[in-house]
Amino acid sequence: MPPYRKQILIGRGRGDQFQSIVELPKVNDKEVVPWVCEELEKILFFHPADLPFPAQLSVIGLSEGLITFTRIFSPEAACEVIEAEMHSHVFFEPEPDIWMVMVVEKSKETEAIFRTEALRTILKEIHSLFIMFHGSIRVLLDKEPGGGLTRSHLHTFIMDYLTDFLMGNKFVLPNFRDSLKERGTVQMLTVGREAAIEVQSLVGALDSCMANTLGYSVILFQDLLVSTTLSPEDTTNLFSYSTLRLTPRVLSSSSGGTSTWSYLRKGTTFVPSHADLASRSASNLSDENYRVVRPLQHGKWSKGKDGFLVTDIWGVEVGNLVPTTPTLWLQQTEHKMYLCSYQHKSLTILLLIPVTSMLNGEEGITSLKQQLLENVSTKIFKVEEKLAKGWGGENAYHVKGYRYLLVDGDRCVSRASPPGKVTTLTKESLLAMNKVREDVDLEKRRGNGGDDEKDLEICIRAKNNAWVIAKGTRGKELYIVLEKANETLLYASEAIEKFSDRYCNGAFSLD
Amino acid sequence: MSRNTSSSGALSHAYIQYPPLKCKNNGSRGLFYDDGNKLLISPTSNQVVCWKTSPFTPTVGSTSDTISEGPVLSVRYSLDTKIIAVQRSNHEVQFWVKETGDTFSQKSKSESDVILGFFWTDCAVCDIVFVKTSGLDFYTYVPELKSLDLVDTKKMNVSWYIYTHESRLVLLASGMQCKSFTGYQLSSAGIIRLPRFEMAMAKSDANSKPVLAAEDVHIVTVYGRIYCLQVDRVAMLLHSYRFYRDAVIQQGSLPVYSTKIAVSVVDNVLVIHQVDAKVIILYDIFADSRTPVSAPLPLLIRGLPRGTNIPSSAESSESSTLSNDTSAANLYSDDWNFLVPDLVCDVATGFLWKINLDLEAISASSSEVPWVLEFLQRRKLEANKAKQLCVELVGSMIIERRPLPVIFRAVNVLVSSFAYSLKTGSYSKSGKPRVASSDSEDNGNSSNGENLMASEDHQQLNVTSAAIPPDELYSSVFASVEEEMTADASYLFAIVLEFIRSASLEKIKVHPNVYVLAVRLLGRNHRYAELGQFILNKIIEPSKEVAQELLETGSHNIQTRKLGVDMLRQLSLHHDYVVLLVQDGCYLEALLYARKHKVNTVRPSLFLEAAYATNNPQHVAAVLRFFCDFIPGFGTTSEHSTYIRALADMPSSIAV
Repeated sequence: MPPYRKQILIGRGRGDQFQSIVELPKVNDKEVVPWVCEELEKILFFHPADLPFPAQLSVIGLSEGLITFTRIFSPEAACEVIEAEMHSHVFFEPEPDIWMVMVVEKSKETEAIFRTEALRTILKEIHSLFIMFHGSIRVLLDKEPGGGLTRSHLHTFIMDYLTDFLMGNKFVLPNFRDSLKERGTVQMLTVGREAAIEVQSLVGALDSCMANTLGYSVILFQDLLVSTTLSPEDTTNLFSYSTLRLTPRVLSSSSGGTSTWSYLRKGTTFVPSHADLASRSASNLSDENYRVVRPLQHGKWSKGKDGFLVTDIWGVEVGNLVPTTPTLWLQQTEHKMYLCSYQHKSLTILLLIPVTSMLNGEEGITSLKQQLLENVSTKIFKVEEKLAKGWGGENAYHVKGYRYLLVDGDRCVSRASPPGKVTTLTKESLLAMNKVREDVDLEKRRGNGGDDEKDLEICIRAKNNAWVIAKGTRGKELYIVLEKANETLLYASEAIEKFSDRYCNGAFSLD
Repeated sequence: MSRNTSSSGALSHAYIQYPPLKCKNNGSRGLFYDDGNKLLISPTSNQVVCWKTSPFTPTVGSTSDTISEGPVLSVRYSLDTKIIAVQRSNHEVQFWVKETGDTFSQKSKSESDVILGFFWTDCAVCDIVFVKTSGLDFYTYVPELKSLDLVDTKKMNVSWYIYTHESRLVLLASGMQCKSFTGYQLSSAGIIRLPRFEMAMAKSDANSKPVLAAEDVHIVTVYGRIYCLQVDRVAMLLHSYRFYRDAVIQQGSLPVYSTKIAVSVVDNVLVIHQVDAKVIILYDIFADSRTPVSAPLPLLIRGLPRGTNIPSSAESSESSTLSNDTSAANLYSDDWNFLVPDLVCDVATGFLWKINLDLEAISASSSEVPWVLEFLQRRKLEANKAKQLCVELVGSMIIERRPLPVIFRAVNVLVSSFAYSLKTGSYSKSGKPRVASSDSEDNGNSSNGENLMASEDHQQLNVTSAAIPPDELYSSVFASVEEEMTADASYLFAIVLEFIRSASLEKIKVHPNVYVLAVRLLGRNHRYAELGQFILNKIIEPSKEVAQELLETGSHNIQTRKLGVDMLRQLSLHHDYVVLLVQDGCYLEALLYARKHKVNTVRPSLFLEAAYATNNPQHVAAVLRFFCDFIPGFGTTSEHSTYIRALADMPSSIAV
């Protein structure tokens, strides 16, 4: 067993929030170190980094104190959120004794109304993506107890991630206006049976392309998932990464083209002036000795002539300047995989090939690409054409009269009214939905101990006479806002029934 | 049925089966083939003896009709077999009306006008056609007058002609080299004149002008299309021409390895006999491909008796001819006459043989399985055997783990062939009679070998298509290889998926068992996420069987189990759904559901037991109350009192 350490990662933005990382030596460590140094050692990441150390230490101290205190009576799950008068502290423990904390300032501004769980999913996403590219923090620390490498990795990674939330020089976190969205889930493209069969046949062809390597494939159309052979967790991570950096929409906006609509994150398109945020501040912190791979760095991916996406993020081969193939870790199998991505029009195909099965490394990847172009490309074109023909556009999943969010927790899949339609809701409705979701989150967390698949139903009438409804059954959740609806509860429940029968295979119709 | 025994170990793709039809009678003056009635005719001085050749049965007896004495150049029955026409000389054809015994004759008008031949026709405008050196005469038969009435003539110089009844096409050769052709098709719609065309003839040197002979031109009918094959002895090529309504188009040439070529058509397969070389080359010109089906191989005689093993039924006169039978060297003797489409008559012995294809040998000779399957699927004569071979081929392909693209092609071939047979209706026809005929085969299966063969023939007539219905493909291929493929579930799954894809393209319904197999294979590889996609996209169509398999597979994966539960609900299988809910401990939901959907087949005790098991008196009370309220008379049942007592014994009980 390595010496016991407690690491704390704290997030806090300027004005609104802060983020940071701390590493602490074990309390009864025999080494005699000045107290300040000891405390600072705990921090693996802290943002803003330019906050004076004493201020940083006070944040860390408070958070650590809260964790230690709540552990006394809840050893399994320490605190998740502490609401102070001025701040909310959101806690997340992604790995044993590694803590991420986000401190959000409470403000008089009404826009600054957040849902704790939504903020926690940001922390979750940071961590999931981080370990996908760098492996777990624990393993990094075990490899290098000094933590310098871990720090520089975390710093560049999180700063690159955060640029997506940067508006001007302020972080804009998901607030109540995003209550009909679910971060950390996958959005699927709905296809007809015939198209679905064609897609699966393509998956089969990709499989045989990868031959005996036991690879995986993920197919996206626009920003929507079409097919995956990965586990739900790995799919979610790869999907998140793709919609952040790989899909045609992202590539066209980062290559200077006009920003198009985003299904997932409307209004959070990349702001070029902050592209070097990470590298600017990174130079303050990280040693020059470490070569840090920055998978989330903006504007680094582009589509090559052969249709494959290329990036020099993972470096270039010495001599011929050929970019090194990206690698990542699968959460489920803990295998290191090559990531090979091909794009044709709206279709993005991700292939994951185990590094261990590619004995000749880059050469193997090159021949794999060649095979894909030779044997599968016609199939890819056909599938793209078929999907494009059946694709209903930005508002394909709009249901008239409803503003909804449908989450399938088992499969990490969600579907929601298109963002453009959600913005037509009044602030009151959205605030009410935010509140309802907060309550459902709480209810779900309570149920976590035993039967976590409790059916629940909340139906409230908001101040503006809108119906705000939440239903949960067997791992699925449905949230609906009905504005301009009839005033009777019967009407509301019939509306839900209708929606459930029509769009959820009757999953919520059980009464 | 193993391949080795049936092909007798010898390499050949076509065979003739011993015993032949023996068309021998005393005083025979030659053998004639009446292809309109498929009769082999052997006239004697005052009799016409004939044997039916279709269906081909070696034991068929002869029938005879008496005619007056005289020379016989040619003889043909009318298509209703009521009139016998005998060509007596170059200028006269004599007719007998069988019923009345009346006779009359038709003569050509002038000495120079030679009758080359004649044939009966079912064409709309005439009954019999005379081919003369001066052209064609079309006659109708007038029974009242007992004479022929000339309805039309076509004037032209004719050197020789060929005609086949199956094509209804007469080709008239003219010109110095006899390579200029005029054709008429005597279809039910009338007489269609084909455009005049020339056949290609290579010259050995500049001055030579080879003359085309009648035996070098063959009319063949395959897949309902009419072709003409012409041997070019100089170029050693077999030119093919296809006849359309308004055009004759040369289709390319096949190489030949013999100056003498004979052509048979067996089950739409072209059998080109290279007579000199005594080998056969098979062509299946369904598509435009002119690649031979197989390498040149000799014709085989099957079932030849050896040594003392002489059939007991053989007559004494026949045993002497046995020595002739056994000399296989007779094959392709000069006495062999090839009759349209698939018969060979040895005029010296009077033996009539039917040429058969050895489908097993053909399918074993090519490694290109999808191609072989295509070939087999087109066979109609031995559809049952072809079907069986297809099933075996696909099965062994999968077991041998041949590359997936090849297997995909094979699956596509079989599925689209079935779809085609559905469209043309040949499949649905063959469904029922097949069962009936196999019954009759069982009943009439005596020790007599010849009988068996006859009934086999009978059976083949009923099964008109080798198409394999998806259910059968599942049961005889996928289900049977599944055992052997346990280690390679994803390989088999890819094949099943391609099968589903292929069926969906052809809009054929797939049996639920195929989907069950798909679920099982995915479950075996723990591909639960993908399984979910397949269910949600309805690639795997919902059914009770699939739902049950999902529940089974779901014992290792709760999400999959949920899919199964949801499927039961979506299929409105209320009873099963309620029972499952109770099993999962959701008995309150189950009760609500049961009430909503009026499920009254689930016993109350099931719910009560489940509620009691939770040790929660509130739940037991709720369930009891539910049944008291909704089942009339429940309060008086023993169950009620049992659980009331049980409830009372539970801690902190609440009165109902």
